[in-house]
Amino acid sequence: MFMIRLIAILAAFVLPAAAFAESVDVSTARGVVALQAKPRRVAVFDMAALDTLDLLGVKAAGVPDRVYLPELKKAAAGAEVVGTLFEPDLEALSALGPDLIILGGRSSPKLQQTSRVAPTIDMSIDGQDLIKDAEARLDTYGRLFGREQAAREAQRTFVAAVAAAREAAKDKGRALILMTNGPKISAFGVGSRFGWLHATLGIEPAVTSMGPGIHGEAVSFEFVRKADPDWLIVVDRALAIGAGDSQARATLDNELVRSTKAWKQGRVIYLPAADLYIAGGGIQAMTRVLAAITRGFSATQ
Amino acid sequence: MMPVEQAVGRPVGAAALLVLAGLFVTSLFVGVGEVSLGGAFTDPDALYLIAASRLPRTLAAVLTGAGLAIAGLVMQTLARNRFVEPTTAGTGQSAALGILLVTLLMPSASIALKTLVASLTALAGTSLFLSIAHRLPPTQPFLVPLFGLVYGGVVGAAVTFVAWHADLLQFVEIWTSGEFSGVLRGRYELLWVSAAMLAATWIFADRFTLMSLGRDVSVGLGLDYARMMQIGLVIISVVTALTVVVVGLIPFVGLVVPNMVSRLMGDNMRSAIPWVAGSGAALVLVCDIVGRLLRFPYEIPVGTVLGVVGAAAFLWLLFRRPAHA
Repeated sequence: MFMIRLIAILAAFVLPAAAFAESVDVSTARGVVALQAKPRRVAVFDMAALDTLDLLGVKAAGVPDRVYLPELKKAAAGAEVVGTLFEPDLEALSALGPDLIILGGRSSPKLQQTSRVAPTIDMSIDGQDLIKDAEARLDTYGRLFGREQAAREAQRTFVAAVAAAREAAKDKGRALILMTNGPKISAFGVGSRFGWLHATLGIEPAVTSMGPGIHGEAVSFEFVRKADPDWLIVVDRALAIGAGDSQARATLDNELVRSTKAWKQGRVIYLPAADLYIAGGGIQAMTRVLAAITRGFSATQ
Repeated sequence: MMPVEQAVGRPVGAAALLVLAGLFVTSLFVGVGEVSLGGAFTDPDALYLIAASRLPRTLAAVLTGAGLAIAGLVMQTLARNRFVEPTTAGTGQSAALGILLVTLLMPSASIALKTLVASLTALAGTSLFLSIAHRLPPTQPFLVPLFGLVYGGVVGAAVTFVAWHADLLQFVEIWTSGEFSGVLRGRYELLWVSAAMLAATWIFADRFTLMSLGRDVSVGLGLDYARMMQIGLVIISVVTALTVVVVGLIPFVGLVVPNMVSRLMGDNMRSAIPWVAGSGAALVLVCDIVGRLLRFPYEIPVGTVLGVVGAAAFLWLLFRRPAHA
């Protein structure tokens, strides 16, 4: 009896101490937020976050019904399904009872709703400076989840991958970034969601007049022919969203595109679409994108 | 119901043809690549651009515009109501549903197969619409378009439901947003089937005109009403499905154009057909040219431009007193 009482008294002292665990300042897409360190149950709606957390060895407790990237299936295995990439299921979230909810990009408009269930952070990343933001997120997650050591190691590897891509693309000529949408195409310039390819990797843009804009500019094939880039960098949106119609090559393989320098010399780089489009900013996904760029620019001379 | 010649006269017809020809030529010279008027005949590169890109795009716009306007005219005749058209009364949505289903069940299906399935679902959807529309009391003409909107909304909701479950919402959005930026030599030729449908409408024009008098009257005059209904349905469905598959949904053309033409020259279909087809072609051509120029060298989808232009024209139709009431 005495022992039990003693334990109860001790627990009464110890538990509040645990509750007042150290807090960490986290910079999110909506400013700096103070969070309790080392949250244990985390619901993750942002694929970039899921990707980076997976690298750090943090297991998500709740995930959307589809993670789109085959590489993320393992990271999501065993976690509860708590909605879709766009739409958190508030009831499922309540049932999960997470300590922290991570939103980003497509789910970020739902911040207010999910904040009623648990502390929520918006970790959206825009494309202007994707590499820097990806590194910042890596560091943040490292501190938040107490995996500083793993984060530092990952950071070193990642910086090397960026340097390799920069080196491969150096002085190779002008590139045009295209996204194919079934039979239609849009072009992306400096300042767009894929603008970091130009800004960070130093790839020279073939068209300099394009304004920012997250969805790029709808263009005709004549536009591509006129720009006549040395390189085409292609993102297949249908492939990224798993629409089953992976046909970027078929869309581009027409007489107007075939007349560009890039096509004639086989300088067309297809980026891993889902890595970039769905999980853009995740360290593992970005490493694969960088590897594709390095490979593409090194393959032909 | 005066023939065109009496109503507006030959000079007007010639002038209209000139306007259409002018738009056609303008469309050949609007684009990102450099094609000058002089160069069109001498510069091999300019000639190549016209053949590979401009002419196909212009023809696609003409075929789409003429086809949709005619499909609208036929649908309005069959429904005996001026305020329905394929994209508001479920035909376009049914075609989209067909594309969605074939994408789900057979992702590698060819464009021709997709068109076939889309035509079949459009046919089924339009038949259902017309069979219900014919049961509505003829004394309440606004019930038909109202029902059409609800029906189109329900079919559209079914498309959204299936797409949402299969995570293809954005895919449907891409398919159904109407634009010509992807049109090139070798990528629009299916649209010529629309021209065949136009010819069929021309052949059956007088019988369609009889149908607009109603079932009892036209049967009394010796018309095979059921057969004509089937032919009309096939014309509407095939044109709409082709357009949705090749360029996407283009709103308002089928509604605004037949109405304007009927205001000017009455309901004799045979005399109206060239005007409806020509005006539809001109409308879509203008909107595509505007879409190419507004944010040059980037594109604005023709569906977006038509949404604005068509809405304005529709309001004008609603608020103006009918000319042939």
